[in-house]
Amino acid sequence: MFPPLRLDPAALLGEISAFQRKLAAGLGNLAHQLEPEYANTPREAVYREDKLTLWHMKGQGAPTAKTPTLIVYALVNTVWMTDLQEDRSLVRNLLEQGEDVYLLDWGYPDGADRWLTLDDYINGYLDRCVDAVRRYAGVDAVNLLGICQGGTFSLCYAATHAEKVKNLITMVTPVDFQTPDNMLSSWSRELDVDRFVDTMGNIPAELLNWVYLTLKPVRLNQQKYVGLVDILDNPKELVNFLRMERWIFDSPDQAGEAFREFIKDFYQQNKLIKGEVVIGDKPVDLGMITQPVLNIFAEQDHLVPPDASRALGRYVGTTDYTQLAFKGGHIGIYVSGRAQREVPPAIHQWLSTRN
Amino acid sequence: MADQASDLLKDYQAMAQQSWESWTRYLQQQATTATNPFASVAPMPHAGASNDLLARSMAALKSYGEWLQGAASSGLGQGGGDWQHALQNLYASLSGQPFAHAFATLDSEAARSFGQMWQGWLQANQSGTAGFAFDVEHLAAFGYTRERQLQQQALAAAMREYLDSANKYQGLIQRANAEGFERLQAKLAELGSSNHQIESLKGLYDLWVDGAEEAYAKIALSEEFRHIYGLMVNAQSRVRELQQQQLEAYCRELGMPTRSEVSALSKRLHELRREVRAKAAAAGSEELMALRAEVAALKRQLASKPAAEKVTAKKSATRNSKRAVEEEVVVRRAKPAAAVAARKTVVRGATRTRK
Repeated sequence: MFPPLRLDPAALLGEISAFQRKLAAGLGNLAHQLEPEYANTPREAVYREDKLTLWHMKGQGAPTAKTPTLIVYALVNTVWMTDLQEDRSLVRNLLEQGEDVYLLDWGYPDGADRWLTLDDYINGYLDRCVDAVRRYAGVDAVNLLGICQGGTFSLCYAATHAEKVKNLITMVTPVDFQTPDNMLSSWSRELDVDRFVDTMGNIPAELLNWVYLTLKPVRLNQQKYVGLVDILDNPKELVNFLRMERWIFDSPDQAGEAFREFIKDFYQQNKLIKGEVVIGDKPVDLGMITQPVLNIFAEQDHLVPPDASRALGRYVGTTDYTQLAFKGGHIGIYVSGRAQREVPPAIHQWLSTRN
Repeated sequence: MADQASDLLKDYQAMAQQSWESWTRYLQQQATTATNPFASVAPMPHAGASNDLLARSMAALKSYGEWLQGAASSGLGQGGGDWQHALQNLYASLSGQPFAHAFATLDSEAARSFGQMWQGWLQANQSGTAGFAFDVEHLAAFGYTRERQLQQQALAAAMREYLDSANKYQGLIQRANAEGFERLQAKLAELGSSNHQIESLKGLYDLWVDGAEEAYAKIALSEEFRHIYGLMVNAQSRVRELQQQQLEAYCRELGMPTRSEVSALSKRLHELRREVRAKAAAAGSEELMALRAEVAALKRQLASKPAAEKVTAKKSATRNSKRAVEEEVVVRRAKPAAAVAARKTVVRGATRTRK
């Protein structure tokens, strides 16, 4: 049996000096960086309302898919995670496969949006975007691809507007909000969300980002930036890192009323799986989802634990249910190299047999 | 060997300090120049704030630098024998908080500044009543300022509640630190028994991060954490609520619009928008229903006619339709006034034909 630490003094000092040197040498690169751009896949705005924009994404060639796919992202970040950079873009990959892709960009709510409810988001904005896609593409029903909270919205929508949804894809979507490993759920359980929203109004993005960082405080507040030092001298890697930082922290505030409802009904009372969610005047019964469903989740997801997503299979009414587990995390499922190779082709293949 | 290591450490510490100071100065210059092109002429009033933000961003690296220094001076590199003792030295030198920065941000960005602000208020309040030998917070209020006394007492009580819960929360964080250290030791012992060795400080750091995150996750998912987290956030909301009430009273006295007035207006506007939209949708829906009913009636009418009559009607319709097209052609060539009259005729004719 050896001692577990073999730290040679000279090597140790060499390591520390190397760290300082890398840091000092890389500072110039950090100081002169411009704001990193997203992939900026060509796109056309086909519908606008209040803060939201519905984008029709343009590929190199005309889409071969007959049914358009509308990507619905969460309210807490921007949809550009799906089109982060040229070689890491779910959107580009789907376009290359021949899919006809639309993106719902919710925009950045401000004080004027304080009273927006889940009814406004789901039966209002989302429904009108679906109608806009249907009109624009000349189809009766669209494919919905909901991501994270956007997946939850898509489930609510598909259950209550079945005739407008042909196929449903959910990615890293919480369904059972009270699995034992769900830290966000646990923390929200004793929150007086009424007083919280009443005194905050809209919920600041900075506050929510802080909450997300505290899910893994040492990794996300420190270890990640220690790793940054190793790539300070690599312009490409550095820009990729900074682009990701932009996406993580450039987040919209949350409309207070919708936040209140989401925390109460979904996190605190777990109503979705109990069939007790009511959006506006429409009761949401997951059993009413009879469209084909593809449920993709990440096995190392710290925001939406896999079991929270897996639960969907037990509650949807469809007989055509497919589940895909991805080896990675909540973000890696969009931006990792493996994700580019595995996820968009899997989506395309699944859709192509159902369009 | 120990002397040699000691000299090296002294040299290193001097160099590390110089290095840290120089690149912090460099970054601060960059930040000031970047935000203020006239910095050399007149310092910007917010230069301090900018430096503070920068310092917060760089704190993760500074903290890691301090960790490295602590590790280097703890004796970890001076002989592999008593690694446990050296590790204890390191833990003690870091005051039992090896990731102080990462955990400190748990309440520094959003909550500590909040706590500090109100702690100051609390102290000022206490100093204003220093002459009293009894508990002002629980003194029965009376006189002209009775209502304001009650408000102040409520605010002081809420602030104490917040500070109490924040202290309990810090206790849990401290426990996570201690348990993280225990986990690190267990992990190292496990490595030793499997004849594996760590040969770099980065390797030790990463293993420690693993231990810290595991310990934190276990505590953060506990019922106790959930309860204290809820207490802390709710207490903060209560302080904010009382503070807003006082602020609103001042604003009213100064004739300024208050937050709740603006919020109430915004709510009414939002409800009005929803009402208008719902009415428009209902009207559209009624029109659609009426048209559908008319189509259905026409179909029934058509279906009830004998087959021969249908054929005649069809031929007649075709003839009428052709005539209508011919008339339309004529109409387009006719003078405007005649054209309008002719169009009306065509429309009436077409309606009759459909019936």
